[in-house]
Amino acid sequence: MKTKVLMAILAVVIAGLIAVPWIASYFYVFIFTEILILGLFAASFNLIFGYTGMLSFGHAAFFGIGSYATALVLIHLEWPFLACLLVSMGASALLALMIGFLSVRLNEVYFAMLTLAFGMMVFAIAYQWRSVTNGSDGLAGFTLGSFGLGLDLTLANPSVYYHVVLAIVAIASVVLYVICRSSFGMILRAIRQNPERVSFAGLNVRTYRLVAFVIAGTFAGLAGGLIAPFLRVASPELLHWSMSAEPILMAILGGTGYFLGPFIGSAAFVLLETWITTYTESWMLVLGIILAMMVIFFRKGLLGTAIDWWMEVKK
Amino acid sequence: MKTTSIKKLMVAMTAAATLGTAGTSHAEDPIRIGGLYILSGSAATYGEFAQKGINLAVEEINSSGGILGRQVEMVYEDSQGKASVAIQAARKLVYSEGVDALVGLDSSGVAQGMVPTMPELQKPLIITHAATPDVTGNLCNPFTYRISVNVAQNMKAAALVAAETDATNWTTIGPDYAFGHQSWEFFGNYLKDIKPDVNLMSETNFPRFGAEDFTPFIDRVMDSDAEGVLISVWGGDLVNFIRQANTRGFFEKDLEVMFTVGAATEVLSALGDEMPEGVHLSTRYWYEAYDNAVNDRFVKAYIDAYGTPPSYNAEGAYAAIYAYKKAMETAGTTEGPAVAKALSGMSLEAPNGTVTFREGDHQAMVSPNWGVSGPMHPEHGIRTLTNLQIFDGEKVARTIEETGCKL
Repeated sequence: MKTKVLMAILAVVIAGLIAVPWIASYFYVFIFTEILILGLFAASFNLIFGYTGMLSFGHAAFFGIGSYATALVLIHLEWPFLACLLVSMGASALLALMIGFLSVRLNEVYFAMLTLAFGMMVFAIAYQWRSVTNGSDGLAGFTLGSFGLGLDLTLANPSVYYHVVLAIVAIASVVLYVICRSSFGMILRAIRQNPERVSFAGLNVRTYRLVAFVIAGTFAGLAGGLIAPFLRVASPELLHWSMSAEPILMAILGGTGYFLGPFIGSAAFVLLETWITTYTESWMLVLGIILAMMVIFFRKGLLGTAIDWWMEVKK
Repeated sequence: MKTTSIKKLMVAMTAAATLGTAGTSHAEDPIRIGGLYILSGSAATYGEFAQKGINLAVEEINSSGGILGRQVEMVYEDSQGKASVAIQAARKLVYSEGVDALVGLDSSGVAQGMVPTMPELQKPLIITHAATPDVTGNLCNPFTYRISVNVAQNMKAAALVAAETDATNWTTIGPDYAFGHQSWEFFGNYLKDIKPDVNLMSETNFPRFGAEDFTPFIDRVMDSDAEGVLISVWGGDLVNFIRQANTRGFFEKDLEVMFTVGAATEVLSALGDEMPEGVHLSTRYWYEAYDNAVNDRFVKAYIDAYGTPPSYNAEGAYAAIYAYKKAMETAGTTEGPAVAKALSGMSLEAPNGTVTFREGDHQAMVSPNWGVSGPMHPEHGIRTLTNLQIFDGEKVARTIEETGCKL
């Protein structure tokens, strides 16, 4: 019964998301595009954070490299959009393999610091390699061509782009969900709870951590490939460590223990930012207070707390 | 049972989604103009001065009947000096706040990112500060205009000033983004044309925008063979730069020092007599350079209201609001495409004389001002400008062919 109701709610939410361009004011097309892209970014992060227990402070490196890859391909090669996204995923997977290979051997704070250091190295390269990345200004002024697969879509139309993002994020989420629910995902959860025990069972923990890291990086790269055409610029801010903090905040805000938690966190984050900045410039202060409250009183995040409450009430 | 709860949910979602949106415009509703400026960080004074100029224009216009009989209302967003933030903010202003037109942009980097998105928004944008030649060049479009001097115009004037000096070896210190790099590029090319025997040094200095410590760059120039240095550092950075340069004895050295935006009154007010005498200072508008009724009224009203003389940024923002007044009244509507069209080729009387938006690239033909810092002003608490030169805006502008703009 409960699963049925949950599925019904999910179906309504998806129907609502599809209908956004018709039922909401035009501005919310942009807001929901951003929520979906950042939600995918946060969900990819949660694969290593919530599931495997690795706190990375350099996840924006993969998001950013994805955005630069798409921007560069659009500027220099003018390939179809889907091809750009594949390049973004490939580039971020490669980078995640390199950074992951050197980082996953360490644990906890050392892992966090190492990912932060690599993330800032990638930022420094994007910031200083002016001839390729256009330095601090980032890459802008690229135009969106065709979508690929022979589909006739006007990507420059924000509503069309929103639906494209919705479809791609939905597919990517299903793939991520299947990964999380597979035996591979189970092992990741076991690693989070007790890595020694997993390793005594004869499994190579480091390999599992590396594979999880690369998968997470690849999906972050996909999110990055989606954000560049949306923002119309790929800039070093997307690679900065403060961008790495966003998926952490979103995952905690939404709930790290649930697959959809990061998406809820992303929605809360973007909507609050939009509404609060209308009234005050000090949105970070409000966010800080909300986060402190979440961590102290609602450890399970918005989604976790809501589900707990609902389970209580409906008993 | 189920359907009604779903219906309720849909209604709630729709209500939540439409929250904060603006209603459709009626004749009696105010005309809304969106302002995008840097309102936080080390360059926030520029946003603040622009707001002062705009507020003055809005008050004057509203007290004399408004535009097309409607009052004018401003809505501001902080661009934070970042393109991605500014693009989102512009979308918010247009689609959520329902503004009819946009003014603003302090940073060249922001302008390069945002200008290509203007045709999608279908609203006119008048840039009042950002100076990259690209936005009235290869990135130009029917919706984008600029009322302030651009880098190409100002660097042509700078090269003419530099050619009069004895310096042969030139280098630069500029912020590490489009503005700093393009200032040096255009200055170098123009100076080489006018005076082929100059040497543009390969050793250049581009500190990060917002860097606190400029001493390594100051030391490097002092230790080099440079005889002339073009400095395009601006805003709070420039205030820090000059204080640090003073303690290093930078200005005692036998150097021709040219500050491309040094005569911004924001900077002069902050520095007072810490600004050295005898350096070349430029500004896009010097408040004492223009002898006309509009300028007299503007300067007087500005000083009465805020106690300091107006900066170029305040002037540009002030004039932009009047440009919209004239364009909207010419078009007889506030519809974006019609107003944008009315701006093309339009002239208006601004504090810095008759300003015309050139049809070919939408760049206003406004005059860069260069002078040499002199004694302190007895009342305004800032350096005066001596040997003031007002360059003809049209003569220092690139030709339409040179801009690469195709409209």
